[in-house]
Amino acid sequence: MSRILLVEDNEMNRDMLSRRLTRKGYEVTMAVDGREGVEMAKQGGYDLILMDMSLPEIDGWEATRQLRAAEETRSIPIIALTAHAMAGDREKALEAGCDDYDTKPIELERLLSKMEGLLNK
Amino acid sequence: MSAGRPTLTPEEVSELRHELRTPINHIVGYAEMLLEDLPDADAAGRRGALEETLVLARGALDLINHKLAAGASGATQVATGELSTLYESLREPQARILNVVAPLLASVSGNEPELVADLRRILTAAEKLVPLDVGGADADPGTAEEAGTAAAASDEADSGPARILVVDDVEANRDLLRRRLEREGHVVECAENGQRALEAIRARGYDLVLLDVMMPEIDGYQVLGYLKDDPATRDIPVIMISAADDMPNIVRCIERGAEDFLPKPFDPVLLRARINASLEKKRLRDHEVEYLRQVDRVIKAASAVEKGNYAAGALADVAARADQLGKLARVFDGMVAQVRAREERLHEQVRDLKSEIEAARRAARPPEAADLDFASLPAGERFAERYEIIEVVGAGGMGMVYRARDLELDEDVAIKTLRPELVSDAALTDRFKTEIRLARKISHRNVVRTHDLGEWKGVYFLTMEFVEGITLRELIDSRGQIGVSSTLAIAAQLAESLEVAHERGVVHRDIKPQNLLLDADAVLKVMDFGVARLAERSSTRTEAGLIIGTPAYMSPEQLLAEPTDARSDLYSVGVVMYECLTGTLPFQANSTISLIGKVLNVEPSPPNVINLEVSPALSILILELLAKKPEERLGSARELRERLAQIG
Repeated sequence: MSRILLVEDNEMNRDMLSRRLTRKGYEVTMAVDGREGVEMAKQGGYDLILMDMSLPEIDGWEATRQLRAAEETRSIPIIALTAHAMAGDREKALEAGCDDYDTKPIELERLLSKMEGLLNK
Repeated sequence: MSAGRPTLTPEEVSELRHELRTPINHIVGYAEMLLEDLPDADAAGRRGALEETLVLARGALDLINHKLAAGASGATQVATGELSTLYESLREPQARILNVVAPLLASVSGNEPELVADLRRILTAAEKLVPLDVGGADADPGTAEEAGTAAAASDEADSGPARILVVDDVEANRDLLRRRLEREGHVVECAENGQRALEAIRARGYDLVLLDVMMPEIDGYQVLGYLKDDPATRDIPVIMISAADDMPNIVRCIERGAEDFLPKPFDPVLLRARINASLEKKRLRDHEVEYLRQVDRVIKAASAVEKGNYAAGALADVAARADQLGKLARVFDGMVAQVRAREERLHEQVRDLKSEIEAARRAARPPEAADLDFASLPAGERFAERYEIIEVVGAGGMGMVYRARDLELDEDVAIKTLRPELVSDAALTDRFKTEIRLARKISHRNVVRTHDLGEWKGVYFLTMEFVEGITLRELIDSRGQIGVSSTLAIAAQLAESLEVAHERGVVHRDIKPQNLLLDADAVLKVMDFGVARLAERSSTRTEAGLIIGTPAYMSPEQLLAEPTDARSDLYSVGVVMYECLTGTLPFQANSTISLIGKVLNVEPSPPNVINLEVSPALSILILELLAKKPEERLGSARELRERLAQIG
């Protein structure tokens, strides 16, 4: 069973996505802001991180940069999630070190295939 | 006169897009999740509602993406004026989502707390979709809380334009004020005396009047008096202007209904603050008036529903309000829609049943002589000195049924004669009479009205309302089996009649297709309430009695001669519904003893196994009615009626 760290500040998004992923057989742990996300990721044991980009404290871009800089989290795949869908968001996410990028509203099947693609690497 | 910038920066657009898309994400996510969770037997029609919600939310998302598109270079600029158009166009999907989800939530029972919570989340998200301060980018958020629909009123916030009339006899004063106010963004007109001012106000109305006290002819106090006496102008705020800044003058103006008082020469900051405060008060009052008007519309809509002339969607604009009143209007609209839909389904069921009845009647043949009891009374025979026999309409275990003319009341009645051996026991006959007295009190469109119990030449007879129609027995025999929709129409009416009878303490004890009449309008009439008391005695005493009691429709407790109650009737309803839908009885046997053995010990095949058109929910309901033990059945006819309403 893959362990997913979901970093998301919005309560409803957390509830919704974690329930849907749990049903699909993932073990989901949640962090509510960028700082907590980085701390939890560093404790280890995650196969993949779903990172909301607009987060309080440390935003998703910065959290991703910190995760990429740290030895113990460098290789965990990160998928950026954003509702902004600005042109250039994708490039910005990849530049910060994300492995993939998805927009909200989440199309579950699309996200799952991205997740599986990264988990099977 | 907007003071805001004409366009939004790309960052602002991005932020706005985020703000608008977030609730949509929630709606889409939860609706999808609930759809995934939906059982195959979507009894309550939830799938449709959730799918509609999804379509609406995705439509709203397209709108947002289209209006707030992310340009290739990121250099998107959106005109502020376009925002209110976007908000306006999001109101429709917002209102429709609320209209779909609110009734769905209302229909969900408390034993599905997770579903309730998720539907509430969808509602919350939908309510957040269009922000409350929709009056424009310049609207003051602190004062626009109630701006559900009163968009016109919310134009007039701090820097928004207001129409102001300045009344002063000194031209220099008028000019000075006009220029000041125009700089603030207001639209200003002037009048040089009281008469002109009154004419202008009555003709055009204003958001505010600045009124000089000292004027020739009609002075400011008089103008104020006229304005406050006239209901049409009473609510326009008036600020008095005068050099006479003494206390008695101020008091006099306020007492006459002036909003405020400004001493000359006026301080620009004070002028601005007082004018804005007055405009704000008026705005709130307008909101209040508008609010009360809409409350009144909801009340009128409720009475329209009572009268049956409520037009669906008539409250759409009230329902679009983001406040509690809007919520009330949405729930109201949703409930009416639900009732309408249910009525429509009922009409459909009755239509189907009517066409089945018509088909059966076309195929019907007159009863053959062999069906009739040889002891029947001939047509034309005078009976009990009051009735004239017209024809035999039926023959059963109890006796004969005739159509006869009641010569006293000059109308047709049904007369049922009872076999003498049924009424030979005096004690039992008394009990039977008691029962008939009770049954006579049931007056309901689905119950054949019992008129009288009489005795003539040693023959007991019952007179009843005559119903032109066919029995359900004839309908089943003619059609083989009956469609689901028609069966639901029959069952609903049967449940209603039993609910009324049971409430009055009358248990039928012999519900069977032979006792259920259907007239040409597909109205079901239950016959023989109270009559089965006679058969009960026989069934416990003699073998012959069992045949009278129609064991195929009798509950296990009836067959065992154990105490019976309303739930015994519900068992019989189960058998009747089973037979309607499958064309067969739940238990079949070659002998009465073998049949009783099966009724007591064997579980029937689920009706949806025999007839694939029967939904699992309906099948389960019938099996619940056919439970061996009364306490395992539905509790009451009312519960049956409610369950049927959920299914059909």
